[in-house]
Amino acid sequence: MTLLEVKGLVAGYGSGPDILRGIDLTLEAGQIQCIIGPNGAGKSTLLKVICGILKPRDGEVIFEGESITRLRPDQVLKKGICFVPQERSLFPHMTVGENLRMGGYALKNARETRKRIKEIYRQFPTLKQKRWQAANQLSGGQQQMLAMGRAMVLSPKIVLLDEPSLGLAPLIVEHIFEIVRQFKENGITVLMVEQNAHKGLEFADWGLVLDLGKNVFDGPADTILADPRIQELYLGTRRVQEGI
Amino acid sequence: MITDFLNGEYVHEVQILIFSLTLGGVYALMASGLTLVFGVMRIVNLAHPAFIFIAAYISYYAFTELNLDPMESILINVPLMFIFGVIVYRVFLASGADQPRYTEKTVLLTFALALMIEGVLGYLFTGANRSTTPTYTTEVFFTGEAQYLVPKAQLYALLMSLVLIIFTWSFLQFTRMGYAIRATMQNRAAAQTVGVNVKWVSTFSFGMGTALAGAAGALMSFLFSFFPNTHWEWVALLLSLIVLGGMGSLVGAVVGAFLLAGTAGLVSDAYGPSWSPLTFYAALFLILLIRPQGLFGKKLEMT
Ligand SMILES: Nc1ncnc2c1ncn2[C@@H]1O[C@H](COP(=O)(O)OP(=O)(O)O)[C@@H](O)[C@H]1O
Ligand SMILES: [Mg+2]
Repeated sequence: MTLLEVKGLVAGYGSGPDILRGIDLTLEAGQIQCIIGPNGAGKSTLLKVICGILKPRDGEVIFEGESITRLRPDQVLKKGICFVPQERSLFPHMTVGENLRMGGYALKNARETRKRIKEIYRQFPTLKQKRWQAANQLSGGQQQMLAMGRAMVLSPKIVLLDEPSLGLAPLIVEHIFEIVRQFKENGITVLMVEQNAHKGLEFADWGLVLDLGKNVFDGPADTILADPRIQELYLGTRRVQEGI
Repeated sequence: MITDFLNGEYVHEVQILIFSLTLGGVYALMASGLTLVFGVMRIVNLAHPAFIFIAAYISYYAFTELNLDPMESILINVPLMFIFGVIVYRVFLASGADQPRYTEKTVLLTFALALMIEGVLGYLFTGANRSTTPTYTTEVFFTGEAQYLVPKAQLYALLMSLVLIIFTWSFLQFTRMGYAIRATMQNRAAAQTVGVNVKWVSTFSFGMGTALAGAAGALMSFLFSFFPNTHWEWVALLLSLIVLGGMGSLVGAVVGAFLLAGTAGLVSDAYGPSWSPLTFYAALFLILLIRPQGLFGKKLEMT
C-alpha cells in the first residue's frame, strides 16, 4: 500500500533559486526507504517540505490519498508524520524525561504519553537511566537516541530521519541503525536521509538517489547497491578502487 | 556580621534595605513580562514600560471613578492587557518572526509603538503627575526590636508581586502551555516538529507578558507617580535588569531586580542618589564581561 506520494515537488528558500526541481517519491507502508545523494542535493529540503516546515512552490505531497501540501507542521504531525531533523532537535535545558514528554505533546493525553514513555524506557534503558539529566548533558549518540525515542512516543505512521548517524562513532552508528530497524518492527514506516550511503542502503528496503534537486534513480536498495553507475557516482567506490 | 545585625549595629543599613528591597518585587514583576517575551520570541519590547503605564492609568481611572482599590484593579488589568497584547502582537509583530533580523526589527517597531502609546496617553491624561492613593500608601508597620519601619504599600506590592511571579513560574513549569512555551524558548524548530503551534504560543506569550505588565501597572500606580512620557525612564532600568539576570530567564529577572533594588538603596544612601545608577551599570558591565549571557541566562541556542 502506498502511504506517501510526492509529485513534481518544486521548492526553495525565500526568494532564492529552486532547490528541489521536480521530485517524485513513493513510500510504501512498512518500508525503510533511504535517500542518498551528494551534499547540497536537497535531501533535507525535501524532508522539510514533507513535514510542512517549508512550503513548496509547486507539486504535491499526498498522504494516505489526501493532499497535505498546505498543512502546518503541527497538522502534518497529527496526520502521523514525525520529523527528526538533522541536528539540534532536542530541548537542551529540559531533562530526558521532559523531552520525551514533549514528544507526546500532540497526543493531548498525559496518561497515554506516560504509558508510551514507559515503553520507550523499556526499549532504551540508557534513556531511563539518564531520565533526570538535561538533554545537553548527553553524548552525541545518546542525543540521537533521545531524538528518535521522542519520535516513537507518538507512534507515528511515518518517521522522517535526517542523517541520524551524522558525526557519530562507528560503533554508535551501528546502534542507531538498530533503532531504525526497531521503528520498522514497531510498524512505523521510515523515510531517512543518509550520508553514510552504504550503511543506509544496507538497512533499507528501497533507495532513492537525489542529485541537483531531482531524483536520478530509485529502486530496491540492493539493486542500487549493486548498480555500477550509482556506485561510481554516489557511493564513492571508484575513488576507493582507484586509490584516490 | 549576622550577630552585628542582630545586635543592632547596622540598624540604619537594614532600614535602607527594607525600603529598597520591598521595591525589588515590583521591579521583578515589571521585568518578568519583558524577559518572557524576549525568551520566547526574541522580541526586545521597548514598549513594555508603556504597557505598564497604560495599566497604571487604567488603575488610576478605576480608583478615581469606580472607587476600586489598585490591588483589585489587577483583576481588570490582567485580562484587558492580555487582549491588548494579543492584538498588538498580531497587528505589529507577528509577521517575519522567523526571519533573521527579526530582533532588530522589533526594537524599531516597539520604539514606534511606545511613542504612539505616549501620544495617546498624553492626549487622554494631560497635565499632572498621577498616582493612586489608597489609604495604605500612608501607613507603616513597625517590626523587630529596632522598630524598623515598613511602608505598608511597599510590603503589599512585594507580596502581590511574589505571588504573581510564583504563579507565572508554576504556569511555565507545570502546565501543558507552559511546556510549549519553554520548548519554544529553547528550540523553536524542534517545538514545531513535536507539534507545538509556535504562532499561537508566541501570541499567547506576548499576551501573557503584557498581562504581567498589566499587573505591574496596578502596583506601580500607588508606588510611583507617572506622567505620559516618564515610561522612558523605565526602559533602561528594566532592560539592564534582565540583561543582568539573563535575558529570557524569569529567575534571573527576580534576582536581578533585588540586586538592583538593594545596591541602588545602599549606594544612594552612602554616596548620594546620583551614584546608584553608576554603581549598577558598572556591576552590569563587569558581569557581562565575565558572563555575557547574564547571571541565569542560557547561551542562546538559536541565532
Ligand atoms: N535555510 C536555508 N536557507 C537558504 N538556503 C538553504 C537553507 N537550507 C538549505 N539551503 C540550501 O539548499 C540547498 C540544499 O540544501 P539541503 O537540502 O540541506 O541539502 P542536503 O541535505 O542534501 O545536503 C543547499 O544549496 C543549501 O545551501
Ligand atoms: Mg542535509
